[in-house]
This record gives sequence, C-alpha cells and structure tokens, in this order.
Amino acid sequence: MVDVSSAVLTAEMIQASQAGLKAVGAGLAVGLAGIGTGLGEMGIGAAAMGATAENRDMFGLALLFTVIPETIVIFGLVVALLLLFS
Amino acid sequence: MLEPRKMSRLLIAGTKAEMGGVIADLYRRRLFHIEDFVGQEEYAGFRLGMPLAGATEASNELLKIRAATNAFGVHADGGPAPHRLSPAELRRSLQTELPEVDAQADELVTRRARLETRQKDLESRIAELQPFATVPIPMDLYRGYDSLAVLAGHVPADVTITAPHEKEYAGGKKGGFLVVFTPIGDRDAVERQLLDAGFAAVRIPDETGMPADAIARYQTEQASVEKELEGIGRQLAGLSELHASFLLAADELLSAEVEQAEAPLRFAVTDQTFVAEGWVPTADLPDIKASLERITGGKIHIEELPIDYDHDAVPVEYNNPRFAHPSELLVDLMSRPRYNEIDPTLLVSIVFPLFFGIILGDVGYGIVLLAMSFGLRRYLKGEAGNQLLDTLRNSSIAAIIFGLIYSEFFGVELPWKPLVFSRHLGIGSAAEAGAHGPDAAAMLIVSIWIGILHITLGRVLSIVNHARMDHGSHRTKAILAQTGWLAFMWGILVVIWSMYPIPLMLDLSAIGDVVAPIGLRPFGIIGIAMILYGMVAIGQENKLDLFELPTVISHVLSYARLLAVGLSSVAIALVTNYIALDLIVRPQLAALSPVGVVIIIVGILVLLIGHVVNLALGLLGSGLNSLRLHYVEFFTKFYKGGGRKYIPFGMKRLYTSEE
Repeated sequence: MVDVSSAVLTAEMIQASQAGLKAVGAGLAVGLAGIGTGLGEMGIGAAAMGATAENRDMFGLALLFTVIPETIVIFGLVVALLLLFS
Repeated sequence: MLEPRKMSRLLIAGTKAEMGGVIADLYRRRLFHIEDFVGQEEYAGFRLGMPLAGATEASNELLKIRAATNAFGVHADGGPAPHRLSPAELRRSLQTELPEVDAQADELVTRRARLETRQKDLESRIAELQPFATVPIPMDLYRGYDSLAVLAGHVPADVTITAPHEKEYAGGKKGGFLVVFTPIGDRDAVERQLLDAGFAAVRIPDETGMPADAIARYQTEQASVEKELEGIGRQLAGLSELHASFLLAADELLSAEVEQAEAPLRFAVTDQTFVAEGWVPTADLPDIKASLERITGGKIHIEELPIDYDHDAVPVEYNNPRFAHPSELLVDLMSRPRYNEIDPTLLVSIVFPLFFGIILGDVGYGIVLLAMSFGLRRYLKGEAGNQLLDTLRNSSIAAIIFGLIYSEFFGVELPWKPLVFSRHLGIGSAAEAGAHGPDAAAMLIVSIWIGILHITLGRVLSIVNHARMDHGSHRTKAILAQTGWLAFMWGILVVIWSMYPIPLMLDLSAIGDVVAPIGLRPFGIIGIAMILYGMVAIGQENKLDLFELPTVISHVLSYARLLAVGLSSVAIALVTNYIALDLIVRPQLAALSPVGVVIIIVGILVLLIGHVVNLALGLLGSGLNSLRLHYVEFFTKFYKGGGRKYIPFGMKRLYTSEE
C-alpha cells in the first residue's frame, strides 16, 4: 500500500499534471463540441436532404442550413488550440 | 462588373409570313429570351400561335431517334463532337439511315423483351418445382384423380394426421415440405388438421416426369436464353458505337427544328400577324434589329419597351471578367442574383480561393490538387464541370502560395522558416528538438480581422443594395439599420480595445483615464455609444432583429475556422509523417534486414493512406468551410438572390454545324 499522506508533490509533478489536464481539457472541448454539432446537424441534415431530393435548386440553401451548427465545433477547436499552444 | 448584364425588353411584331424567318434568325443568334404569351390584358384579341408546318413530322422523327438512342444506350458526354455533321448531310442520312436504324433497334428491343419475359417465366417455374424435387414422385401422379385430393405445402415440422391418407414428408432446416393424398370425402378434416399445424399450401405445377429432370431441362433453357441475351447486348453495344455520332447529331438537329417550329406557341398572334415579347442584352440590341430588318426586308416592327423593375422579372445573365466566370457556379448554387442587386461573383472569385489557400496552405497538397484539376477534365465535361475544376485550379494555386508562406510540404518544413506565421506543431522529432508550437493566438487574431473586414464589406454592399432596390421611407430605414449593425460590431470592438491591449489590434487601453462612475475609459464610452446607436438603428427597422444581435459576435468568431481547420489538417499530416517515417521506417533503415524491408513498405503504405485521407479531408474542409463563410457569414448580410436565369432562345450546337 502506498501511504498517500506521506506522498510529496514535486514541482515537476505539478507541471506534468497541469500539462496533462490541459490536454484533457482540449480533448473535452473538441469532443463535446463535436457531439453538440453532430446533434444539431442531425435533424437539419435529414431535412435538407429531403428538401434537396424534392427540388435540386434547394441545394445551396440546404448546405447553408446544414453547416450552421458547425461553428460550435470550430469554437471547441479554437479553445483546444489556445489551451495547447498559448 | 458587380452587376449583371444590362437587358432591354423587346417587342417584335410582323406579318405571319415573316414569322418563320424571324424565328430562325433569333434561334441562330441565341440572344432572345422569350417572354411567354399568357393572355395578358393588353393583348385583348390575340391568341396563342400554332406550331409551324413540319413540327409533327420532326417530332415523330425525333421520337424514333430517341427510341433508338435509348435502345442502343447512347450517352452524350457533354463535350462537343470532334467533327460536326452538316445539316444537309444529316437530312440526307435521316432519309436513308433512320428507317434502317429504327428497324434494327425495334427488332432487337422486341427480341430482348421476349427473352427477358421467358427468363422470368423460367425462373418462376424452377422456383415452383424446387420443393417438389425433394419428393420422389413423378409430377404426372399429382393430377387426374376423381376420388383423391392432393395437398402440397410447407409445414414447420412433420404432422400426424388422423383421417385416412397417404403422405410424403421431406424435412429441411427451415421446416419441411409435405405432400398428402387423401380421399375427397376426408379432405376437409385433413385440411383442418394441417392448418392447425401451420401448413402453407403451394400450387402444384403443371408438369410431367420427375421434378428434378424438369428443373434440369429448364436450367439448360435458362442458360441458352442468357447466352442469347448477352449476344443481343453485344449487338446493341456494337450498333451504339456505329450509330452514336449519327444519333446524337440527328437528335440535336431535330430538337432544334422542333423548338423552332413550336416557338409560335409562346407568341401572341392574330389571323395575319404575330407579336413576340422578350429580352435581349442591351449591347446586342442594334445587331438584332439590323439583322431582323435585313431578313424581312424591313417588313417588321421592333420596339424597345420600358422596364418596370417592380413587376417585370428581368432575366439575369452574369457579366464578369473571364477569371471570375468559374465562381458563377458557386453563386448559382446559392441563387442567381436579382437584376438590380450587386452580383458578388467577382468578390467570391477572389476571396474563395484566398480562404481556401489560408486553410489548406500546403505546397504538396496544392500541387496534387492542381494536377487533379487538370487530370479530371477528361471525365468532368460540360460547363458546370469546367467551372468546378477552374475553381479548384485557382484554389490550389492559392494553397501553393500560402504553402510557400507557411513553409509546408505535406506537413514537412521547407528549407526556409515560415515567412509570417508558423503552423508547425511540436510533434515527433520537432518536439524533441524543443520547437515552439504554432503561432495560434496571432493567427486567431488575424482570422478575426479577416472576419471583421469581410462582414463590414458585406454590410456596405447591403447599404448599396438597399439604396438601389428599395423606395421611400423603407429605403431610409433599411440603410439606417445597416449602419446600426456596423456601429454595433465596431462598438463592441472599441469597448474591448479600450479595456485590454490585444496584439495585432488597436490598443486604446492606455488612452485617457477611467471615468469613475462608469468604470470605462473615454474610448469605452464612445464604444458604448456606438453600441446603443446600433441597437436603436436596428430596432427602428424591425424590433425582432434585436434578437439577432448575438450573431454579430458568433459570425465574427466563426472566421476562426480559417485557423482552426487549417491547423487540424497540419496536425494530421504531421502525425502521419511521425508514425510512418519516425516510428516505422527510420528504425528499420538503421539496420536493414529482410523483415525490415517489408516493414518499410508497410510504413510507406501508412504514409500514403494518411496523406490521401488528409488530402480528401483538406479538400472537403477547406472547400466547404470557405464556401460556408461566404454563404452564411457574408451573403446573409446583403444578398437576396432569386433572380430569373437568362435562357436565350436557341441551342449551343455540339454535334452539328450551323446551316
């Protein structure tokens, strides 16, 4: 058994765990934002497909509607990049 | 530039004797967009015209040509034919060749249809016989009894029947097949017991001999039918090759004839005269007038009508310099501009490749895409295909230029340092060398700057559009609202600048002292005033628009994708290089062995697959995101669209020469 109370945190360990938590945070930012975007695009994408199938001219508008929630994941990506590199 | 081609509304009136000549001339010039006659009020006493003589014959011949085209499976590839046929020559061969070609096509198609029916018939017969093959009774014995009833069908398991009977059961994995012979008097009892056991009756086929023999006989026939069908397919393919150019040319010639003959259906006529209304580009107006007058010997009335922009849907034809032509595809994908609004094609043609280049920015990928944009021309024909590939060409050139600036070649650094910003991430050997990461924050700020300027441009265009298209008080309100949106966006920026110094942006945080009761510096107060003015200006046009205020921030931040999507593509390239080269190939190169060679090949495969996938992602990501920034963030600020396409009366000839 490791005696937790006597464990000593060195400065390197703190730095390493900070870097690790940053990476976890970056991963969560992209991953969760991606799930959100996916949920948003799910309904829009299906409806856009249907509309385009009925009328080819809808394609441009359908594409526009479908990519609107994509901004969310871009925000996630930006947050992740800032966490990792600045 | 930035405007569609100027159009004039034209009215052509003449005697019916001149109608044929006028139609032929308009058709050849391909400039006149016909406005259909639908019984407008000012045309009281007129009626719809009748087709010219020869319309029916041409339609009939066209029908035959199309039937043969379908039968032979001839496909037009969209590109012009290498040598065009002359109409006179084609008319001669229509007389001589068409009946023969038509007969051939007809005969082959009839035969094919008959064989296909026979094939289906054989299939169903075999399927019917299949279960009986498990019972060793000749098919003749199932029929012709006076006192016996025969029942056949599928059951889940063998059944015990109490009534007098004789049965044959053949078990299988998914239930069995049962044949029961029973005196007619006991039929009902047997049937009831069978139904209780889950019996599903089948029809007893009208055959003779052992079922297995019958099946074999049919299968032989099936094979021969199959062979015959293949032969017909080969014959049709041969004929398709032989007649393709004739059929396509004849189709074009006859379609042109039919279209011309049916044009009077769109005109207004009286007993002796006709009137045609339509649109022509203003620049071509004198030409058309002169040529129509020459053809009719001056016996025609041509008048330019005034245009009422609120009621006339003026057809829209782009008017762009040559290099902007490919981007018309991207604008059309959204919607054709209206006649009196700004046509953003020129801006798209400059900014789209720029965004694409900023996102992708890799010399290697750029060169591959450039090669693709030339290589695919063989497969993607027609105008839209060319426009798409031209857009790809321009975009990949931009990607190469930005690749040189970023110093990237398939993720590897070129022999020089990045000129402005580094996008190289510390992955693999770079991390060991202690390389510093990408300039993410600086690039983020530049992306935001691009967004601010792009959106400002959009709002300015919107002011111009409203000034042109709206009237009266609505025009003033709409323009004020647009200045409000601008003031709101820049007001937020000024407030932020007055509070925090941000690199690469204006620093107003050191100017003036904090005004005590408000807690803001002087520029902060100016910013707040701008924001308040913006809200009032937006609200006076439409209060509901105030709910849209947060989009100002989200739209500007959305331009961060210029950085984010690009960096993620760099990351994939770097990781691919690291895994394939550093982890797999390099250790083997240090000490070569036979197994090592195999591992090196695997490493090269990983490298190839990684970069191909990343290229596909990069093409999609850069293209779609750049397009999205235009459609969602830029166009929504000013673009209405919904203009009517200019479709001139006439045909672009691909297979026949002009008469």
